[in-house]
Amino acid sequence: MKLSARKKLNEWLITLPSLTWLAIFFLIPTIGIFVIAFKPANIDGSVGSGWTWHTIFSMSDPNYPAIIWRTIWLTCVGTAICLLLAIPMGYYIARVSPRWRNYLLMLVIVPFWTNFLIRIFAWKVLLHPEGIVKQILLALNLVEPNTILLYNSGAVLLVIVYSYLPFAILPIFAAAEKFDFSLFEAALDLGANRFQAFIKVFLPNIKVGLISATLMVFIPALGSYIIPEIVGGPDGEMIGNKIAQRVFVDRNLPHASALSAILTFVIMIPMLVVLTAQKREETIPQKKVGGRP
Amino acid sequence: MRSKIPFYTTICVLIFFYLPLLVLAVNSFNESMYGGSWKGFTWKWYIQLFHNQEIWNALQKSLLIGIAATLMAMILGTMAAFALHRYSSKLQFFHYTLIYTPMVVPEILMGMSLLLFFVALGIDLSLVTIFIAHVTFCIGYVALVVLGQLQEFDFSILEAAMDLGADWWTAIRKVLLPLLAPGIIAGGLLAFTLSIDDFVVTFFVAGPGATTLPLRIYSMMRKGAPTVINALSVILLIITFIIVFFSQRLRQSKP
Amino acid sequence: MADFLEFVNVSKSFGSLKVLDNVSITVQRGEIFSLLGPSGCGKTTLLRICAGFEQPDSGKVLLNGKEITPLPPHRRQVNTVFQSYALFPHLTVWENIAFGLRIAKKPKAEIQDKVEKYLDMIQMTDHAQKKPSQLSGGQKQRVAIARALINAPQVLLLDEPLAALDLKLRQRMLVELDEIHDKVGITFLFVTHDQNEAMSISDHIAILNAGRLEQMGKPAEIYEAPRTSFVAAFIGDTNFFDGVVIETKETEYSRLHIDGFVDVLVYNDKPKKVGDFVHLSVRPEKISIAHDEPAKTEKNHRNLIRGKVEDVIYLGANTKYWVRVGEYKIAISKQHKRFLLDEKPILWGDTVWLFWEADDSYMLDRYRAEDEQLLSLPSSVD
Ligand SMILES: Nc1ncnc2c1ncn2[C@@H]1O[C@H](COP(=O)(O)OP(=O)(O)OP(=O)(O)O)[C@@H](O)[C@H]1O
Ligand SMILES: [Mg+2]
Repeated sequence: MKLSARKKLNEWLITLPSLTWLAIFFLIPTIGIFVIAFKPANIDGSVGSGWTWHTIFSMSDPNYPAIIWRTIWLTCVGTAICLLLAIPMGYYIARVSPRWRNYLLMLVIVPFWTNFLIRIFAWKVLLHPEGIVKQILLALNLVEPNTILLYNSGAVLLVIVYSYLPFAILPIFAAAEKFDFSLFEAALDLGANRFQAFIKVFLPNIKVGLISATLMVFIPALGSYIIPEIVGGPDGEMIGNKIAQRVFVDRNLPHASALSAILTFVIMIPMLVVLTAQKREETIPQKKVGGRP
Repeated sequence: MRSKIPFYTTICVLIFFYLPLLVLAVNSFNESMYGGSWKGFTWKWYIQLFHNQEIWNALQKSLLIGIAATLMAMILGTMAAFALHRYSSKLQFFHYTLIYTPMVVPEILMGMSLLLFFVALGIDLSLVTIFIAHVTFCIGYVALVVLGQLQEFDFSILEAAMDLGADWWTAIRKVLLPLLAPGIIAGGLLAFTLSIDDFVVTFFVAGPGATTLPLRIYSMMRKGAPTVINALSVILLIITFIIVFFSQRLRQSKP
Repeated sequence: MADFLEFVNVSKSFGSLKVLDNVSITVQRGEIFSLLGPSGCGKTTLLRICAGFEQPDSGKVLLNGKEITPLPPHRRQVNTVFQSYALFPHLTVWENIAFGLRIAKKPKAEIQDKVEKYLDMIQMTDHAQKKPSQLSGGQKQRVAIARALINAPQVLLLDEPLAALDLKLRQRMLVELDEIHDKVGITFLFVTHDQNEAMSISDHIAILNAGRLEQMGKPAEIYEAPRTSFVAAFIGDTNFFDGVVIETKETEYSRLHIDGFVDVLVYNDKPKKVGDFVHLSVRPEKISIAHDEPAKTEKNHRNLIRGKVEDVIYLGANTKYWVRVGEYKIAISKQHKRFLLDEKPILWGDTVWLFWEADDSYMLDRYRAEDEQLLSLPSSVD
């Protein structure tokens, strides 16, 4: 009894520092977003006292649905492109010799360790009217001389894929590395062609990697702010830009909070989908084995 | 016999990854402002960069915050990893969720919520608020890297040390910490690069005058002095390569 | 019976390593054919060439008279039971077995019927909804077999299907495998490095060594009439002698002079004349050992020798003796009928009589000294 009380005390002592820090500086502020969304805004930029539904109702501003919609489709398409590129690449990295595998992994990781702003800036330079991409496309006669590559949704999509692709490659590689490639031969042996073997055997077996790749791209992409800020222009704005504008331009914190709350809900959707799917999967086989706790 | 699609995808993606960085590096030596064409080799952007006092001040602040936040995150993260590894209670489940979520939450939400928090409490934005914000998003990374190493650690070594007469504090100090040092340092390096690199959260919680390097780069980008940024990027890239190289070394020299 | 599956002069190298060297093997319809050989001799490679996972550098594979070498794996009527089973972990037992039929887009009802039939055959009906991770080794094994058989292949390839099982289970599965073979009547090409497995289950055996075919034949032929020193030493145990023919008797028998040994009488399983070199193999159980001199028989074709016992290993069912005769140490295996009752035990240091019939020795076509290392030796080799 005394021993377990002592153990409990030790646990609290060692847990408390990080727990307190994160509770104060992460949990409470996050809850704060939902609270402030119901507060009135003062003209001078401070948060007023009392409670109001006004901010929530102002979300129906005709500007917002379009931007929320653009945020969602840019994120979904960006995630899909990332997966489409990451699956063959993760597969390839998992199949090469260990030495090459390390080099390839390094090559994937290094750009993701490079300063985020600089990577986006590099694209701004590339897509600039006098930049190299425009010059090449012009030379190939693929664009008109007055086409603008920068400051539109396409540019945002491109940079989103560029920025978050490594987050998709790494978990898919990790799953593919654990995949037993003799299963592939077994499928061929049983009459499947290579494409069928890939779809019916490889993909289901790297499901965990696919799910975490999706989340790792989807969530940060939804919250993109600096990418549309630099390469998006007015036609490429996302929710993140609106939040920043409410904070830095109008200084309307309740409004920014309400937008953040919406963003939080949108992020929760895929996470809840995954969580419930996993729960269901965990419970089914357990029922069938029976007896096992 | 094998499909070539994975191979070609990999090559294309790698070109896609490195082309922008390469163009940036080449342009940092280009006389031309927007690098559409090659107008001759020059060091002048680098020279301009070295004479740009604002950048050096910003770098100083970034380093200061980076080092302070990293040390704090290393302490909190290592303790958190111990707790997570040693105990498995409801408390630790909650603890783990709290450590994990900040890593998946988009930066803008974290910046926004911290800004609200500081405003609500009437705390003036300064270097200290940036420090707090950076520690908050770095703890998780340190904790998970150290946790990974703890899971490979053979705890019977600790018992052996105590068996040989060491009290538990000595055992931890002389046996456990040295063996875990590579993990803690790797976690710290990760935290340091994240801190040095961070723009979005910092942008929300930075007070007037608390301009870190990314904030300075951003304002230079807006004002349009791309060539100096090119030069700066190349230098940062080189530093990144060196850090990645060493952290990779650390990871490979696991005990 | 017609030749059904044929490997014709198949060669294969990985880099500079020659893994298969001009191997020709013929398998007949409906039989169990074993590929037997030590680890790394190329058995799996030959199987993979048959399944289509590897291409031979030269030579071809014929199935039913048609060349299948250029066909991709999924176009061959050949299915494999993999060494590690390779069951699909994301599918249930039922779905694993149905995989091939579903790929072939067979009607639902037919799939249902067949899967149930095969589940019944392997006695796994109760486990149909389990995932492979919830099965025991023997169960996985049976699912792997059913999954391959349900496609009604012309040939079933089995790559050491029993290697991952423990000894008792291995013996039981071997019997089950034999029963399944009797039920389905499909040709089995069975790879193993366990000679007992191969001997007990096969109609024919091919012995491979370092990528070369050493001998192909019925189990008894291979045991009783090994053509090379490798086969003689790899299957069972034996004694090797090198001798020169010094006298031929009635053309059927020869007298050999063996350096460092006594002269022995051998049956000429191949025509020999005086002066020929002969490599001889005599199995340990063909040699009798006794304290007392045995009574003379009518035809005097017996070799009778005296020697000194240097090692005795009691193995339960039999005892192994190593007896020194000249420069040779002869291995003898003896079964006991009334061991504890009235046999006077033969002990270390005893001087004993050894004798074997001239008909029980066998002349080898090819002899290599390094094959002697395959022979079992007493632990106290001097
Ligand atoms: N893909 C490959 N690349 C290079 N060498 C290979 C390859 N596959 C097999 N080998 C080599 O070929 C030789 C024969 O291999 P194989 O797998 O056919 O042997 P095996 O008879 O099945 O052995 P075991 O009984 O151990 O399974 C071995 O030396 C092996 O190292
Ligand atoms: Mg093998």
